[in-house]
Amino acid sequence: MSRGGFLIALFITPAIAWAQADTQWLLDQSTLSYHMSHPMHQVDGVSHAAKGKGACHAGICSFLIAAPLKSFDSGDTNRDLHMLEATRGAQFPMVVVRTSFPESETAAATLDADLTVEFAGQTAHYAHVQFQRSGQGSEVHISGTIPATCSDFKIDRPSFLTVPIKNEIPVKVDMSWHKM
Amino acid sequence: MKLRMPRFAIRAAFFGLLFPLSLAAQTVTLSGTATDDKGKPIANAAVSLKPAAGSPIEVRADADGNYNFPNLAPGDYTLSAAGDGLRSKPISVTVTTAPHQTVDLLLTPDQAEKPAEQIPNAPSPAPPAKAPPSPSLEDLGFSSQQTQGNPKLQAMLQKRTRMLRIHQKLGLITLIPMAATLITGPQAKVKGRHGEAIKVPTDANLDFHAALGGLTTAMYFTTAYYAVFAPRVPGTSKHGGIRWHEALAFIHGPGMVLTPVLGAMAYNQENSGEKPHGIAAEHGTVAYVTAIAYGASIIAVSWPIHWKFWEKK
Repeated sequence: MSRGGFLIALFITPAIAWAQADTQWLLDQSTLSYHMSHPMHQVDGVSHAAKGKGACHAGICSFLIAAPLKSFDSGDTNRDLHMLEATRGAQFPMVVVRTSFPESETAAATLDADLTVEFAGQTAHYAHVQFQRSGQGSEVHISGTIPATCSDFKIDRPSFLTVPIKNEIPVKVDMSWHKM
Repeated sequence: MKLRMPRFAIRAAFFGLLFPLSLAAQTVTLSGTATDDKGKPIANAAVSLKPAAGSPIEVRADADGNYNFPNLAPGDYTLSAAGDGLRSKPISVTVTTAPHQTVDLLLTPDQAEKPAEQIPNAPSPAPPAKAPPSPSLEDLGFSSQQTQGNPKLQAMLQKRTRMLRIHQKLGLITLIPMAATLITGPQAKVKGRHGEAIKVPTDANLDFHAALGGLTTAMYFTTAYYAVFAPRVPGTSKHGGIRWHEALAFIHGPGMVLTPVLGAMAYNQENSGEKPHGIAAEHGTVAYVTAIAYGASIIAVSWPIHWKFWEKK
């Protein structure tokens, strides 16, 4: 194979593999928000910067959703920078969620998903996370909560006035998808 | 005869030397623990790591279920493990430039390994459905600049947090001598030995007040040092309570310079037998304004933001 041919093959092979999917889904809009709880503060950090794609082939769908950690806004720059530090966000700048499930579930009112979440340099698995699905046809709205905790990702809980935040940092997910 | 080396051979030798060097500079260790759904380690589990292109690498977990893949190049991999009749789901792992990454594996009963009941002449079962290739971060439109780690920035964030923690603690401790200085100020009513009110402060009172003021000033500027010299993170625009916290420093900062200067002037006037006058007479007022601004700047960053008294419930 010529050098040019090799380079073309190198770059377009993944694109061809992706294009082989029977159905593809694209994330239109999303709101991801983590909730942090402390006796003196209840904080929600919100991001609208997630991107996601899904591909279904032979009855199985694989989805990938990712958001830059620095896109989460809790209403205070200082706290957001501290969150980035505590979650090793400069070293691992993305939170990545992957899931696979039977294509038939994309039409069900409740979606039961096994999630693999990469965050803070760790990977955690959440089995049977329930998401509510609404919408019709090619436009689908998904909402639910991922029961994440600091210890799942080996995050040292930040403290304020010597009191650490709660271990639970549930992440609310609200997404609009469309079928391509 | 002139011996000529083909140009591609020179290039190949050049890249052959440089490419491994560049990879060696970015090698990463991926490790983790293989456990079952009850958290029991799977000893000697076969852990396989398959790069996006190339042959899979396989290692064995130790007696505690720990596995380790050293010297990996950054990229996308698929990780899986099997052992003790259990098997993990294949996991897509993006290895970044961070030196150590951890992925724990959950192994569940492997249905596929159970032998199916054989029926003579029965049609062979359909092959199991294969999940389509999972999209990559590049497919989502994230640039490599967004997805790659930055250890220097992480180190800067850690230094910043360390300095701001000291700033926070010292700032709170400084409140104690500050309050004591205000209480022992010459304006405070002092009781004499026989219970009578002493309106003119004694030398001992003034000295004690001046010493507390000096301690407050020293602690204040030490506190300020840890905020002023904490690393600034580039590309961040400030919003929220931190803006009030910093804005109020423009009141209590000059106030903490002016208060001891006016205090020294007032002290000299008192020692000369004069009542403080002129600008020195404003020492107390400046001190109170400074203390109020200082207290407000603490409240600005510690107020429970979910308590919004200005919003009707």
